[in-house]
Amino acid sequence: MSEIAERAVQNFRRRDARDKLMGRTRYTIDRGTAGMLHAALLRSEVPSGRILRLDTTAAACMPGVRAIVTAADAPGRAGLGIADHPLFAIDTVRYCGEPIAAVAADSERQARDALAAIEVEIAPLPAVLDMGSALADAAPLVHPGWESYEVLTPGGMRGGNVAWEASVDRGDIDAAFARNDVTVVESSFRVGRQNHLSFEPRAVLAHFEDGRYHIETSTQVPWTVRNTVAALLAVPASSIRVTVPPVGGGFGLKFDCALEPFAALLARMSGRPVRLVNSREEEMTTCLFRENAEICIRSAITPEGSIAGREAVVLMDCGAYGGEQVFLTTMTAHTLGGNYRLGAVRIVSRAVYTNTAPNGAFRACNGVYNTFALERHTDEIAAAIGMAPGEFRRRNVIGDGDLGATGQVFEGDVLAPMLAKMEALRERTPASLPGDGRLYGRATTVGTWFVFTGPSAATVNMNADGTATLVTSGVEIGSGSMMQALPQIVAATLGLSPDKVVVRAADTDAAGYDVGVGGGRTTVSLGAASRSAAIEVRTKLLKVASDMLEASAEDLVMEDGRIDIAGARGSGVTIAEVAARAQALLGPVAGTGSFTGAGTPAMEGCCAGHFIEALDIPVFAVHDCDVAVDPGTGHVEVLRYRVVQDVGRALNPSAIHGQIQGGVVQGLGYALHEEADVGRNGAIRQTSFETYRVPLAGDVVPVEIELHEGAPSIGPLGTKGAGEVPILNVGATIACAVAHATGKQIRELPLTPPRVLELLLDRAQAPDFPHIGSRHSDNRLATGTIA
Amino acid sequence: MTIRLTVNGEERDIAAAPMTPLVDVLRDTLHLTGAKPVCREGFCGACMVLVDAVPTVSCLTPLVLAQGRDVETVEGLTSADSPMPVQAALEEHDAVQCGMCFPGMVVTLTHLTTAGRCEPSREAVKAGLVGNVCRCTGYERIVDAALAVMEDRP
Amino acid sequence: MPGMLPMTAPSVAMPTSLTEALGALADHGPGAVPLAGGTWIMRSPLRREGFAPAYVGLSRVAELGKINVTPDTIEIGAAVTHARLAEALEGLPEVAALAFAAGNSANPAIRNVATLGGNLCARGFAAADLVPALLCLDALVEVAGASATNRVGLADFLMHRDRLLQGSVLTRMILPRCGRPSAHARLPLRKAGDYPVAIVSMAAGIDGSGRIETSRIAVGSVEPVARRWTALEDALAGQPLDPARASDIARSLTTGFSGREAVEAPGWYRVQVLPTLVGRAVAALASQA
Ligand SMILES: Cc1cc2nc3c(=O)[nH]c(=O)nc-3n(C[C@H](O)[C@H](O)[C@H](O)COP(=O)(O)OP(=O)(O)OC[C@H]3O[C@@H](n4cnc5c(N)ncnc54)[C@H](O)[C@@H]3O)c2cc1C
Ligand code: FES
Ligand code: FES
Repeated sequence: MSEIAERAVQNFRRRDARDKLMGRTRYTIDRGTAGMLHAALLRSEVPSGRILRLDTTAAACMPGVRAIVTAADAPGRAGLGIADHPLFAIDTVRYCGEPIAAVAADSERQARDALAAIEVEIAPLPAVLDMGSALADAAPLVHPGWESYEVLTPGGMRGGNVAWEASVDRGDIDAAFARNDVTVVESSFRVGRQNHLSFEPRAVLAHFEDGRYHIETSTQVPWTVRNTVAALLAVPASSIRVTVPPVGGGFGLKFDCALEPFAALLARMSGRPVRLVNSREEEMTTCLFRENAEICIRSAITPEGSIAGREAVVLMDCGAYGGEQVFLTTMTAHTLGGNYRLGAVRIVSRAVYTNTAPNGAFRACNGVYNTFALERHTDEIAAAIGMAPGEFRRRNVIGDGDLGATGQVFEGDVLAPMLAKMEALRERTPASLPGDGRLYGRATTVGTWFVFTGPSAATVNMNADGTATLVTSGVEIGSGSMMQALPQIVAATLGLSPDKVVVRAADTDAAGYDVGVGGGRTTVSLGAASRSAAIEVRTKLLKVASDMLEASAEDLVMEDGRIDIAGARGSGVTIAEVAARAQALLGPVAGTGSFTGAGTPAMEGCCAGHFIEALDIPVFAVHDCDVAVDPGTGHVEVLRYRVVQDVGRALNPSAIHGQIQGGVVQGLGYALHEEADVGRNGAIRQTSFETYRVPLAGDVVPVEIELHEGAPSIGPLGTKGAGEVPILNVGATIACAVAHATGKQIRELPLTPPRVLELLLDRAQAPDFPHIGSRHSDNRLATGTIA
Repeated sequence: MTIRLTVNGEERDIAAAPMTPLVDVLRDTLHLTGAKPVCREGFCGACMVLVDAVPTVSCLTPLVLAQGRDVETVEGLTSADSPMPVQAALEEHDAVQCGMCFPGMVVTLTHLTTAGRCEPSREAVKAGLVGNVCRCTGYERIVDAALAVMEDRP
Repeated sequence: MPGMLPMTAPSVAMPTSLTEALGALADHGPGAVPLAGGTWIMRSPLRREGFAPAYVGLSRVAELGKINVTPDTIEIGAAVTHARLAEALEGLPEVAALAFAAGNSANPAIRNVATLGGNLCARGFAAADLVPALLCLDALVEVAGASATNRVGLADFLMHRDRLLQGSVLTRMILPRCGRPSAHARLPLRKAGDYPVAIVSMAAGIDGSGRIETSRIAVGSVEPVARRWTALEDALAGQPLDPARASDIARSLTTGFSGREAVEAPGWYRVQVLPTLVGRAVAALASQA
């Protein structure tokens, strides 16, 4: 099988590039159909209030209006972990931008005009706009009825404005801190929100035909859309078909159901196809941001420089509804508790309700800020004990047989050799120092991430013309996995060239369940399912070929579109001939495959409220950079950036390099430019490209890359996900380098010029979190709280 | 009111309000969906078209200001199936990810890489791309592709 | 909430002469305003302003598109775009500040259509690059109304902008040519592409020993409207063209500024960076002198 793996490795070019370059690709926003209506949403302009009156009569009489829907038409609630989220605000609005009603009309203009005619009266209620207010004594509850919500996944503690709490307790932490020979280092950090700014906004075109809904949508998760629309509309999931045109960027934004239920409802009510597209302003203000978070870490360090104990509290703002953050509390143990060997560990991670736009998933969710906090904390530890930061890392990074935070046993030495590779890479790619009065700094950091495994299904149909069709619910969101890795895996297994593998676009009527495209899982989970489907086809073809060639199947090789007797090239037949014969004799050849996570165990009894207790496939990264800081303006320039990334096996090195360059640049945005926050009126302040600054071409550098291959992985052909992790430690690396350059403690991201200048002027205020108790137990819900 | 303009070489009479953004006319009336309305405020460049051969953001161009002028969209750059040098170079450099920014990138780069327009250096190309945002790729391959085109065309 | 559209679409007239343009403004009453490149006007709905009831396009008025360089003055028509301005002024040292401002503001595509007049006449636009550049060059503004054509100093124009522009058209800027080097130091938060959070434009007469005789210094984007920094002009008289020294002097004189709070940057920051920008402007002057 190793020759299959070798064959699978190639820089196969993506087949969608040409049309994308010619402007011919039709994304969801480019689709329209005869008789189509345009929809628009009426959104709340206050962060918290009681709906006293909602009257759509006048709006319904406006020209061109075909349907109006409100909470009365969508009774269900949905969510991840807890079903706390209705489609429209029911009686209560909980954030600025929350949908109250939806209109479909002949034109977008008419739909918007009709919104203005909807009569709505809202009595404002006190709002909690940040986690400090949400956790204050006697804070108003965002969900006074939280106890009555259906719990979809049991195990987490909940209470009041704490939507979910996940915790880890491993080893005797009190004893570690009580030792009289340890140095205790304590730090706290704060990060803001990050907007995905995917170029295609969330968009949907819904049809209601023959009693079923057909939803064409820009999503990463067709099956989640199918199931969530069903729950919200209270219709059978089987009545919904989701198909996905090419997606114009996701990054996690589209890892949840979004506009689909509104359009589906309106399509049913009007009997016409309905299109709904978010304006950029709606995208800016209601995007499911990477959440803002607050982090306190404390470590007990032995005289030899090992970590005897680590304790942490992480607060994650979930906004008005739990959403992804409930799930993501899980990741704190693996990211903040990752990277290093820990004696004892005690971590709590809490998703906190506030009256702000809900947050969601964003590339290496949770990991980016916990890695920032952890790596800054690590540099502070090194400084406190007088050890070079590189030396401290070399001694303490996780290696073969070490325990992770939740007690899982890691396999293989991965980080240590990667650190050595980084040292060599640095030497090969020196930075030229500024020499113009700017401050120079550098840093190396490490990071731990994972592949979100989970269920996937695939079917491979072998066609009599020698091509294969791969049918999955995978979506091409731009990363290229569906265009490169998947056909490469199937082709290598079947001895075809990848261009002979047709990949069908996602359609929930055609392919089986899939968790979705994200979490670096496409190549791994969909790849594994596709590979087992292809192996079934391979076995069937070999059997028929062995009859045709009168040779035993073991003696045959499948290569270059042929099946030959080993060692006798040209002795056999083409795969097309075999497929045609098989079709005539037995019927068309097909194979199915499925995959799900391995369920790697954690240590018994040490974690609570975790959706993933241990990592099936850990992924490691080492980043390094040089920066120059302008002492007069606070501008940070990245001089060089280097990445050594653990990829298992690199199936398509060119594609992986592309993902690393793109992911690092998104990370540079997070580290240096992209600021999103909530104003006093409860609305997100950055409403446009003008105020939300992403990196431009001039702000970036070519990333120097080395791929680390060979680390253990249960992924097909030894692969790991490579697209998500590149963003993981960019914030950390930049922050450590800026701290090195300026000699200042960095406690916050992004490091915008005003924030850096504030630091240089010693005017920055260290984060102070009165709502985070100094005793760890102050930050835990009492056992027995509703689970 | 009808407004006459030339789009991709064909004369068109458009019945629309004079302040209608050109990008909406192109997409909704003429079904040329190559140009993307991503920010609608002149910052991202995804809606870039050539107006009288000059790169122009179609989101901020009122239809009335395109009257009597020659508009060329990404669809108009290539008449047949074969890509232009800029498109071929971007494909060759494996630069494309989600692709949403590329119609605009291609228009900007087609102009930028014409002889004598821009010095063939990374810095100069990046300065030429200040108004073209890409959220996926991290830009460097786009710059490589532009330089390859310029070096091929002294 | 998003993209509020006006109830009725605005009308647009496209006159071919200034007289016609003024006539069209008068015909449509006080709501009618000029439309130049449209890059500011087209974003009105995003600013929740909605469109005006009527626009009078200036792009076909040939006389507004002219640049006239004589030995004593440079006259620039209001409809000249940033790109053309930068190109036309290249190599003229006394207007280096303006050439740099026009050639580096916004992004290439915007510079291809945004006009000088639009940059000066956009209301509530604090970050306009051309304004401080023109202030340090002692520019005069010519405004044509239905009954008269007036020339006013730019500072006066800025102070009375709304009144002066009522039913009128800014026709051109007139810059005296006095041979002094000038420079424009702008500070976006990225390398380029966003609005500058602070701008220092400076023109200076340099004596034989390389010292500043007199200077004009203007500050943009820090306060809602750009203005001269006369205290610094006075303090720099007689000083060498030394960036560090100039920067130090500026540091003691920033108290008169009250920085604009806005989403992209806090007010204190805009003021805090001024000395650095002064240093950069002086360095640029020194390289020209
Ligand atoms: C993406 C982007 C980035 C930008 N970055 C910068 C930057 O870095 N620096 C900077 O300075 N600017 C920047 N701008 C602003 C830009 O310069 C202004 O939008 C532009 O100068 C306005 O010119 P216009 O010709 O498009 O004006 P229009 O939009 O046509 O008009 C603007 C206003 O001026 C009035 N007006 C126009 N001409 C006249 C006249 N002759 N007489 C009387 N009134 C008139 C109009 O009635 C209107 O009120 C940016 C704009 C965009 C879209
Ligand atoms: S949509 Fe026109 S520049 Fe962004
Ligand atoms: S490829 Fe996605 S925005 Fe450029």
